[in-house]
Amino acid sequence: MALQCRLSGATFQSLKLATIPISSSSSRFIFRTLPKTLNLALFSRHSAPKAPPFSVLIRTLSAPAVAAAPAAETSDIKVVKPQWNAAIDFKWIRDNKEAVAVNIKNRNSNANLELVLQLYDKMLNLQKEVERLRGERNNVANKMKGKLEPAERQKLIEEGKNLKEALTTLEEDLVKLRDELQIEAQCIPNLTHPDVPIGWEDSSKLRNMVGSPRKFDFPVKDHLQLGKELDLFDFDAAAEVSGSKFYYLKNEAVMLEMALVNWTLTEVMKRGFTPLTTPEIVRSSVVEKCGFQPRGENTQVYSIEDSDQCLIGTAEIPVGGIHMDSIVAESALPLKYVAFSHCFRTEAGAAGTATRGLYRVHQFSKVEMFILCRQEESDMYHEELIKIEEDLFSSLGLHFKILDMATGDLGAPAYRKFDVEAWMPGLERYGEISSASNCTDYQSRRLGIRYRPSESPSTTSKKGKTNVAATKIVHTLNATACAVPRMLVCLLENFQQEDGSVSIPHPLRPFTGGVEAIYPKSR
Amino acid sequence: MKGKLEPAERQKLIEEGKNLKEALTTLEEDLVKLRDELQIEAQCIPNLTHPDVPIGWEDSSKLRNMVGSPRKFDFPVKDHLQLGKELDLFDFDAAAEVSGSKFYYLKNEAVMLEMALVNWTLTEVMKRGFTPLTTPEIVRSSVVEKCGFQPRGENTQVYSIEDSDQCLIGTAEIPVGGIHMDSIVAESALPLKYVAFSHCFRTEAGAAGTATRGLYRVHQFSKVEMFILCRQEESDMYHEELIKIEEDLFSSLGLHFKILDMATGDLGAPAYRKFDVEAWMPGLERYGEISSASNCTDYQSRRLGIRYRPSESPSTTSKKGKTNVAATKIVHTLNATACAVPRMLVCLLENFQQEDGSVSIPHPLRPFTGGVEAIYPKSR
Repeated sequence: MALQCRLSGATFQSLKLATIPISSSSSRFIFRTLPKTLNLALFSRHSAPKAPPFSVLIRTLSAPAVAAAPAAETSDIKVVKPQWNAAIDFKWIRDNKEAVAVNIKNRNSNANLELVLQLYDKMLNLQKEVERLRGERNNVANKMKGKLEPAERQKLIEEGKNLKEALTTLEEDLVKLRDELQIEAQCIPNLTHPDVPIGWEDSSKLRNMVGSPRKFDFPVKDHLQLGKELDLFDFDAAAEVSGSKFYYLKNEAVMLEMALVNWTLTEVMKRGFTPLTTPEIVRSSVVEKCGFQPRGENTQVYSIEDSDQCLIGTAEIPVGGIHMDSIVAESALPLKYVAFSHCFRTEAGAAGTATRGLYRVHQFSKVEMFILCRQEESDMYHEELIKIEEDLFSSLGLHFKILDMATGDLGAPAYRKFDVEAWMPGLERYGEISSASNCTDYQSRRLGIRYRPSESPSTTSKKGKTNVAATKIVHTLNATACAVPRMLVCLLENFQQEDGSVSIPHPLRPFTGGVEAIYPKSR
Repeated sequence: MKGKLEPAERQKLIEEGKNLKEALTTLEEDLVKLRDELQIEAQCIPNLTHPDVPIGWEDSSKLRNMVGSPRKFDFPVKDHLQLGKELDLFDFDAAAEVSGSKFYYLKNEAVMLEMALVNWTLTEVMKRGFTPLTTPEIVRSSVVEKCGFQPRGENTQVYSIEDSDQCLIGTAEIPVGGIHMDSIVAESALPLKYVAFSHCFRTEAGAAGTATRGLYRVHQFSKVEMFILCRQEESDMYHEELIKIEEDLFSSLGLHFKILDMATGDLGAPAYRKFDVEAWMPGLERYGEISSASNCTDYQSRRLGIRYRPSESPSTTSKKGKTNVAATKIVHTLNATACAVPRMLVCLLENFQQEDGSVSIPHPLRPFTGGVEAIYPKSR
């Protein structure tokens, strides 16, 4: 039976592309009748049961999982070695197992906590045994240094040989146990902020609403119609050249995309973020460490043939990878990046009306904010990120609401997630344009990013030697500053005029070379 | 067999009919196979060559034009990698861990410079009547082939997507070429002039050696590409127009470069004629290609199936007042690099470095950098 870590990797944190409005009765109906896993595929960004992040996991023992048994039984478990290890605090999990269990349930994860605890116990016992045997082997080795009767020496040689064989077997078992423990434990989702509502999409809490829906005194067009009349996109040619959900941007839409990206980068840089462009092809292990599953069923991730590389679905991935396997100085924190990249998503499993036009596409431009900080500060930076988003979107004149997403919608990496849903009058509903997640130590434990606290004078010992403080795991956060297609939907639909033109928001005009509106072209 | 027949005669005819049918089926199958084989072989035939193109290899390429001259430096010249490090403009090391070699992050002012280059280039080319586009970067492999590239060849430059018939584009020429695939455009619509911005992905398989350091050869980069579809008689003229635009763009940035008429051995299958622009890169101490303008005449359009219907002229109206519909003709296609960002960054950094370690930004770009005039070393 293959292990399936449902929800162990959120598909994409920064954009929940399948938001179905709470008010839609049809979605409620489907929520109730379909099994949860199918729900996930259709209505959240979490795909249907995903395969574990490793190629194969075959467990030949039937449930209940590994019992407290002699070491020999563990060799029945065929475990493929994890490609990388996360720095998981097993002891903490054991000491807080009730809270972890509740969290797993609230998140609707099928991580197997019982198994993790059992494996951990087994591993500790096995470690002790290995230590003991090593000790005995050392004793034997020491004894053999002295003067001995030949018979005695022979006995010791025998003993030493037996110990060595036993040790080899136990050490192999220990490796397998550690591997299986890793695989199971990596499925455990992040903890949850105490204020996060428990439940599904219906339970998400409104944090804040900005503005109100514009009142139109003429018939409202959706972005597809506006795009056609203003000659701004071509989906048909793209369907031939590439497939559905691809598009060309044309004319003023090109300029508008560049203005959006340029303005967003400029605004976020003003707030102390370092601008970046990133690789869009990355190793699949980096994708996994950020909490996504390149090889899962209904994966959102495109893979490159004959390689271990994938296309990124968000700049969160290559930015998270920058400080992979390293220790940063505390004085360097917080590290604040604003990254521009193209993003690629298979959108496998996404279907229905929430996919028309620019609303759901395979390729798009996005500006992403990413913060690495000290543990105590991540809540504060989460507030900072959502504030930046609020500033950006309100200065563009959009009407939107900010939601505190419920536990069922968080995905494995997020401790807390705020989604921004903007009013799209042509689609007659709110659509997600942004997402801000505090991933605390989930990604950093996998990416191996730590910081060394600065020494304080009080830790200097008597001899004048400063104590090197133990390193700590950083916290990471990410937030969408601008997802271009959804922003285009908002701008076109909200700022359309009766004469068929679209007015460009004032903050963008310096970046459009002064162009103030998009006008219908005479044909 | 429609008429009245004796049974024996009818039977004979039925036999004959049956034999003919079997023979026909076999022959028709053979015909299909032959056509297929003919296609496969014939598709290998390269485009014809413009009479003025020199025959031979790289050494035989002819200098068309040189603009400017190498700047004289009175201080030690740094290459772009060193400048990038000192000015904190790129990170190749982190990218090597995350993605592999020949990948990079751009940082700080380099991000702004890339955007300014793209923005300015698009603006300048739009002024000349080109329609701006952004394009898909994932395309069906058949479109890649129709443009004259080989996704599945040994040492292919093309990345393929697993479990699909899709590839990553190495140039916007491909998705733009595909826009009018299998269609007939009106003659009055020609010329169709596009300027397309996209990211480009190349495996660079088989490329090795010193010509691969830093930004000179990378797997992913931003590029602004010009593409023209026109009537057959006009492609030479538009080829001149494209190379003139490139010349204007690069000289207004203050670059020193030469334009080469590439020899037959360097053309590649699609190009009838190809002009390469090689700019002086003082840090690398040599000229490096920053741009290429190709006239592909009907090579791509025959594969992409792009034709145009000539406008009728009154003289073809027949006596009955019925206008003759003119037969369609194959269009000609051309493509030219307006801006390949990494190579441009190499040029700008190396050519405009100052003694104090800063880099001066060319004047035309300054309106697009929010007024930033130079990149200065950061205090650490």
